[in-house]
Amino acid sequence: MTAHRARSASVGLGVVTLALWVMDVVRQLQLGIADSGLAFYAVAGVAGVAVAVAVARQPGREQMGLVLAGWLFVSVLDDLSVDWPVSRTATTGWMLAHGLAPAAYGLMVLAYPSGRVRARSERALVGLAVAFGLVWMGAPLLFFHPGDCTTCAPRVSSLLYTATTFDYLPVGQASWAAFIALGVWFVALLVRRLRAAPPGARATLLPLGLAVFFAAAEFVAQRIVWLGGWAGPLPALDWVDRANALVLPLAIFAGLAAIRSRRGPLGDLVVELGRARPGEVGRALSGTLGDPTLELALWLPDRRAFVDEAGEPVDTTSIPDGRALTVIGPPGEPLAALIHDDRLLGQRSLLEAAGSAGRLALENTRLQAELRAQLAELRASRARIVETADAERRRLERDLHDGAQQRLLALGLALQLLRDGSGDHELLVQAEAELQTALRELRDLARGIHPTILTEQGLLAAVRSLGDRAPVPVRVEGPDERYPLALETAVYFVIAEALANVAKHAGASTTVVSLARENGRLRVEIADDGCGGALARPGGGLQGLVDRVATVGGTFAIASERGAGTTLQVEVPCES
Amino acid sequence: MRVLVVDDHPSFRRLAARLLAEAGFAVVGEAADAEDAVREAERLRPDAVLLDVVLPDRSGLAVARQLAQAAGAPRVVLTSSRSRSDFGDSFEWPPGCRFLPKHELTSARLRDALREP
Repeated sequence: MTAHRARSASVGLGVVTLALWVMDVVRQLQLGIADSGLAFYAVAGVAGVAVAVAVARQPGREQMGLVLAGWLFVSVLDDLSVDWPVSRTATTGWMLAHGLAPAAYGLMVLAYPSGRVRARSERALVGLAVAFGLVWMGAPLLFFHPGDCTTCAPRVSSLLYTATTFDYLPVGQASWAAFIALGVWFVALLVRRLRAAPPGARATLLPLGLAVFFAAAEFVAQRIVWLGGWAGPLPALDWVDRANALVLPLAIFAGLAAIRSRRGPLGDLVVELGRARPGEVGRALSGTLGDPTLELALWLPDRRAFVDEAGEPVDTTSIPDGRALTVIGPPGEPLAALIHDDRLLGQRSLLEAAGSAGRLALENTRLQAELRAQLAELRASRARIVETADAERRRLERDLHDGAQQRLLALGLALQLLRDGSGDHELLVQAEAELQTALRELRDLARGIHPTILTEQGLLAAVRSLGDRAPVPVRVEGPDERYPLALETAVYFVIAEALANVAKHAGASTTVVSLARENGRLRVEIADDGCGGALARPGGGLQGLVDRVATVGGTFAIASERGAGTTLQVEVPCES
Repeated sequence: MRVLVVDDHPSFRRLAARLLAEAGFAVVGEAADAEDAVREAERLRPDAVLLDVVLPDRSGLAVARQLAQAAGAPRVVLTSSRSRSDFGDSFEWPPGCRFLPKHELTSARLRDALREP
């Protein structure tokens, strides 16, 4: 059952119980019973229902509230029938309630404080108590016809019945034995639970334990009085019996209050965070700190920026008046930040403690936000790579048509003219020039697709040859080593593109390309002494380099101050 | 018959002009892009235009449509380094135009294409 439904059910059951209680009190008043005992009974009913509803309204205690309300409901049904005009329906209802009252009582005690019975032995006891109740009261139902029997109007208190009612049934004797066995087992389980509780938790169990022993003592005393054959109920014992109805809910309330004070608001936060779904951590913190305007910002080390739980950037640099920023985590390596009402600063320690308590959940949330951001970046770069590849193919097609093919077509026309005898020496020279140009253009094109020298002689030689063809003098430094082909290709094209950029934009007088292998990484630096001011804009040529480096798991950095040249640094992992 | 040659490759323009001259046409002008082509056509009033489909500033097809609107419009032969199949079967050629791929350019084919009524 969800928390919400358990809470609603508790309140509903509480209202019905209260209504029955009021009815019963009014009925007794009509019968002329208006003593202090009735007043106490009325107070106990209101107090019990109030406690059940209050418990059910605490987060995480809904189920406990429901169990408590359930016991009160069964109890009031059980008590109702006292002096009630006997009818077939009323008696059947009373008998079932009376039969199930011990089970409801046991369930409530054993389910404390979570509202659920977890231990197998405890579940077994509750199950047996229910079965016992059904047999105990169900069996007489099969034989007993209240209409035929004027003397058997039940005259009982909640947990005891004087054997006069059903003594004529043999099942009554067996029921007694079973009832006492279950009661002893119940007390034993309770003792075991008290003994097993850690020292701090004992205080939270003690009020309920005392209440149960109090009730058990009363039960035994009543039995002794009955067996001793003392005439008439003892007023003192009646009061103890009445007090039970009040003591139990109060004991549960006191126990839960003890748990709450032990745990405090931070404990609640930890519980709350445990239940919080991703994206709700900020809300949980906001509830604990009592600041509904609180915003949570998570630190992404990769981006060196704060984002919210959805991965959207958060501005932490300009905090408006009346707001304050609290950073969680070690300085320089924050985990998250809270933007909150600045009055919370008076509770600095609570803020920091809340941050620490939420560390794990925050770390999780942050990882999720980071993952979302990375995924978005990956999708974008994949789309860009596909786009780049398409653009590259379009460029190749255009280059072939505009370049070599045009030359060859011109050559064809020239040959045609020569064949028809209308050519001259000049046409022949032109034809040869067209052929040479076509061949050169085809070579360049092929090198642009994949340079042979890279496959044959490796990265250093290929980069040297790039440098030789560049319009700006290029010095190439580094060891002549071979790397995996994918890596060599990626690095080669990065350098080719970088050198093309230098030639186009930098206005440099010299460029240095250095390659170095360090700790399983290939480090490449392309430094020019040009005008600087280059930026990796989306869609720009540098973005293409960033994407290409990313495909082989590398990193890309650029330093390009205006007037101080441009230095590109690329690092790519390469296993030895 | 007076012909205008429109193509952005100078070597092709030169050789095509020679080929046309061999075939007995008078090459009255050359143009390297669409804007040039329209202007030269208005100025020279040629009988025919040999027009590249791909021009640097505008499509040769647009030029062909524009030329067809003028009174006494010249006969237009479109040419390209791409073959007819590259444009696909459903390609809509401007009305009244012939298409002759560059690799099929010969004096004879030019004569056919330009002179055919």
